[in-house]
Amino acid sequence: MDLTTILFLVLAFLIITFSAAVVILPNPIYAALSLAVTMISLGFMYFLLQAYFIAGVQLIVYAGAVMVLFVMVLMLFDLRKEIAAFSGSKFSSLLKILCGLFFTGAIIIAIRQGVIALSVSAGEPTPAEQIEMVKNLALRLFTQYVLAFEALGVLLLVVAVGVVAVARSRGGTHAHHN
Amino acid sequence: MGQDAFEITINTAKMLVIFLLMVQLVPVLVWIERRGSAFIQSRLGPNRVGPLGLTQLLADAVKFLQKEEFLPEHGQGLIFYAAPVMALIPAALAFASIPLSAPIHINPFLWNGHKFGPYDFEFQSFHFGVGIVYVLGVSSLGAYSLLMAGWGSSNKFSLMGALRASAQTISYELALGLSLVGAIMVFGTFDFSQMIQFQSQPLTSLLGVHMSIPAMNWGIFYQPLGALLYFASTFAETNRLPFDLPEAEGELVAGYHTEYGGLKMLMFYIGEYGHMMVGSALMVTFYFGGYLIPGLTVAQVHSHLATWLHLGANPAAIVTALALHVVFFIKVFFFLWVFVWVRWTLPRFRYDQLMDLGWKTMLPWALANVLLTAGWMLFKGMH
Repeated sequence: MDLTTILFLVLAFLIITFSAAVVILPNPIYAALSLAVTMISLGFMYFLLQAYFIAGVQLIVYAGAVMVLFVMVLMLFDLRKEIAAFSGSKFSSLLKILCGLFFTGAIIIAIRQGVIALSVSAGEPTPAEQIEMVKNLALRLFTQYVLAFEALGVLLLVVAVGVVAVARSRGGTHAHHN
Repeated sequence: MGQDAFEITINTAKMLVIFLLMVQLVPVLVWIERRGSAFIQSRLGPNRVGPLGLTQLLADAVKFLQKEEFLPEHGQGLIFYAAPVMALIPAALAFASIPLSAPIHINPFLWNGHKFGPYDFEFQSFHFGVGIVYVLGVSSLGAYSLLMAGWGSSNKFSLMGALRASAQTISYELALGLSLVGAIMVFGTFDFSQMIQFQSQPLTSLLGVHMSIPAMNWGIFYQPLGALLYFASTFAETNRLPFDLPEAEGELVAGYHTEYGGLKMLMFYIGEYGHMMVGSALMVTFYFGGYLIPGLTVAQVHSHLATWLHLGANPAAIVTALALHVVFFIKVFFFLWVFVWVRWTLPRFRYDQLMDLGWKTMLPWALANVLLTAGWMLFKGMH
């Protein structure tokens, strides 16, 4: 086994274990932390697949996003009560297992039907080649796919405005004293 | 890693040495901080142990080793112990990908009857083409250690510090990233080595005055506003005064590391100073020409050193890299000193002032900087 295979196995083990832990762990704090580990391992998996730009972006975006989730868990959950609420009845357990089986089946069908490219490229790209790849990606994003890209931006803006509208401060240091 | 045993050995040793370099600089920085604060406040500072108090740090390390090891009563053991380690990793990973000196080119040579080379060793642990994206991605993981410390300690002061830290980090990461975008546009690359290559060109004109200074095409002349915004948001990202609200000792005892002592607290310190080093190194690489000496290209330094010291090409390449490494660290230490200087000069912001500054001042200015740069580049017809 070469180093890449060993690293792949370690990362795959981490991703599968911790994404299972996100679902299984009853404590929401540990679930959020497991999600963070999953996202970080996924980022390093992209490094291993030589998709360096996506790897960096994965770390930047998801590290921040999961952290917000973490803070939400800390601030919004009354942990003692919620832990009890998370472990459900027999009926809901059955439902969870059925959902799990359904998704496993869907994934197996997708893998068997789909065409998967396993060989990435010959050899590791040099730093200059990596920059070229990023330039290509950027040019595509801003020419061929610019409409989709901008639409996504608008979608995110709508979400941000909506969040501010819902969560608008009615007190505290930023309140307007009329 | 390399093509033969020699190259692999050197590259592995390099990783270890650069990590140790970062960790070993922390005591020096603590000394600078303590002596510097004393200087600013007209005190003497630690001056009893060894020359200029330099071995005080050794004594401190021994003291840290002897501290009691404890877990707070309701603390979450796993998270509590993982947090200090998490503080150390992001800074070390980010620092490892920054070029600390000129690459060393070794011509083929004979050793023990075997022919080796030619080699090109870069003065950094690993070289990614997407350098800055990688550094930003990795260093954004640093906030997890603060959150984990805050939660795992089961202490209200720690938790409040951690919540402040997360909000602050997420807010200022935007300004920090955007302030660098202008420079990335000018350089046309994410790669630190290519940025330094760009800056090693001669400076031909400044504010309409024509001139020609070799190796002086620094980013600061193209991005003065970006440099200012970047350096200001670095203070928030490293939780230093005037933005040290996560550990504001007047309000929160010590914030997220209230419950930590001994070596665990030392690791938080190493993380904080490591982030300062990464911030200063990026400042130097982006805006102040990295390891370049103004007025001298790397090739000129190489040939001058070879003539003065009567060296062959290979030893001269190594000496050049070491000399430029010293130059790099002189620049980095200047900005580290500014960190210390500001800490003991400015008072702390109030939390809402901090958020207003981040979102209502720095972010719009950073966006304006991007637009201005884009317009200027279009006007000049660059790229």
